[in-house]
Amino acid sequence: MTELLGTILPYITTILLFASIYAVFALGLNLEWGFTGLINFGHVAFFAIGAYTTVLLNISGCPLIISVIAGVALAGFFGFLLGIPTLRLREDYLAIVTIGFSEVLRSILLNEEWLTRGPFGVHGFDRPFHDVIPYQHYNTFLLILFVAILVLVYFALERLIQSPWGRVLKSIREDEAVPSALGKNVFSYKLQSLIIGSAIAGLAGAMLAFYITYINPCTFKPIETFHAWIIVILGGTASNKGTIVGAIILWAFFSGTKFIDRIVPVPFESHQMGAFRMIVVGLLLMLLMMYKPEGIFGTKEELALSD
Amino acid sequence: MKAVDGCSIDIESGTVVGLIGPNGAGKTTMFNLISGFERGSGEIMFKGNRTDNLPPFKIARCGMVRTFQIPRALTKMSVLENLMLAPTMQRGERIWNVCLRRKKVLEQEQAIKEKSMGILEFFEIDNLKDEYAGALSGGQKKLLEMARAIAIDPSMMLLDEPFAGVNPTLSRKISGHIDELRESGMTFLIIEHDIPAVTKISDWIVVMNEGRVMAEGEPEEIKRRKDVLDVYLGGEG
Ligand SMILES: Nc1ncnc2c1ncn2[C@@H]1O[C@H](COP(=O)(O)OP(=O)(O)OP(=O)(O)O)[C@@H](O)[C@H]1O
Ligand SMILES: [Mg+2]
Repeated sequence: MTELLGTILPYITTILLFASIYAVFALGLNLEWGFTGLINFGHVAFFAIGAYTTVLLNISGCPLIISVIAGVALAGFFGFLLGIPTLRLREDYLAIVTIGFSEVLRSILLNEEWLTRGPFGVHGFDRPFHDVIPYQHYNTFLLILFVAILVLVYFALERLIQSPWGRVLKSIREDEAVPSALGKNVFSYKLQSLIIGSAIAGLAGAMLAFYITYINPCTFKPIETFHAWIIVILGGTASNKGTIVGAIILWAFFSGTKFIDRIVPVPFESHQMGAFRMIVVGLLLMLLMMYKPEGIFGTKEELALSD
Repeated sequence: MKAVDGCSIDIESGTVVGLIGPNGAGKTTMFNLISGFERGSGEIMFKGNRTDNLPPFKIARCGMVRTFQIPRALTKMSVLENLMLAPTMQRGERIWNVCLRRKKVLEQEQAIKEKSMGILEFFEIDNLKDEYAGALSGGQKKLLEMARAIAIDPSMMLLDEPFAGVNPTLSRKISGHIDELRESGMTFLIIEHDIPAVTKISDWIVVMNEGRVMAEGEPEEIKRRKDVLDVYLGGEG
């Protein structure tokens, strides 16, 4: 029994670590899309900015906590920069510009070696309290830390969403002519939403770096943006609780399929497994859209009434 | 062809002006121009300041609010939330207040809630406060639209067909309320096809046709104008 626990526990810890990182990452997107209706197809860029800023500052001698704060702030600042020219225009402009930005950023990460160390990536940076926590317990510690961060982000977002500020965001999502006619500066609220959503993605980026201890440009492929969208849609758009559950489900599924060939024979090579998993994710999403389109935690009324 | 061309309207504060005219005359377009939702080449003055270069939200903050002909209910928000959105300059609309001055925000939120409930009661939709606005009937959405505009305490209201689809008893009640608000100094510009209703509450009537003002005057005078009868009032006069 203890032996089984010994093999299963680290496995569950891994799932939960990834799930908590991606839950934070997707909560940022949920603020933008779920509550404000902003279409951000380059969410991964802010993930990358947070991660890279944190580790690059740290290896050049900056204390860890300050590096993280700088990473979060810089991710938010880039949200601001991208929002300024796009958020006054039609909603698809943000989608296009964020997609472009995330690809440009990845090519900068690859090519500007003096700054980013190029394709070889960055490692050897500090991890929080790594000198006081015994090595064999470090992941457990990290999990506790990440869950604490997740809970903090969750409650902060809930407080914001349930405030009059959040009410304005939701009204923008529904029909921005209404808040405009009622004297709300729609552009400013969209910008605030994008800045906060991006900053949260930046925080998730720092978390990811701490866990995987080595980042390179390939860590931040466009597929990561897609993962955040899957999580938000799976859990139920505009539900922060749903987003967290969505992250757990997605990572349980990913890890489950990673090792499934050890339990039951599957007719794939391991390199085909990745593609197979995405096919299954796609199928599951289609089924979800057919039978529970509002997501696991979304409310049916909210979706049924959209016109 | 321009939807509105060479129009000039003067509205004295504290009066009710009715804007009538056939379908497609340019009335709603006129509202869009005044409220900043569309840009034109003319000049618009409100309380002595030019507003034609201001975005809609700034015009609304000056105290001029408009309703939409086709009601724009925020469908996935509750009726009460729709109303509580309206008041301008709420403390809790600023992030730092939400984070740092929670108590003050909650106090004001409570006051806004009570006031909103009062307005919902007036429009007889208070029993629907927790429903999603998308679940309301057409007429109820119309009422919500007007209720939301009143909730921002404007000094001038532009109402686009406020009585369309509203039951007669409630129409009369709303007319009565417009009268009261006018007494307290509020100004109204009202588009309406219900001629008896609009002539009854208006101090002045403006008639538009094909993007131009074709006539204006006191209600009784307008009802007798031959040209207005021809293009618009027809058999009714
Ligand atoms: N966005 C637009 N683009 C082009 N033409 C428009 C637009 N909006 C309105 N129009 C045209 O402008 C004219 C005036 O429209 P408007 O909506 O102002 O009429 P209205 O007087 O409000 O009519 P109704 O009583 O039917 O509401 C119409 O001929 C209409 O087709
Ligand atoms: Mg009209």
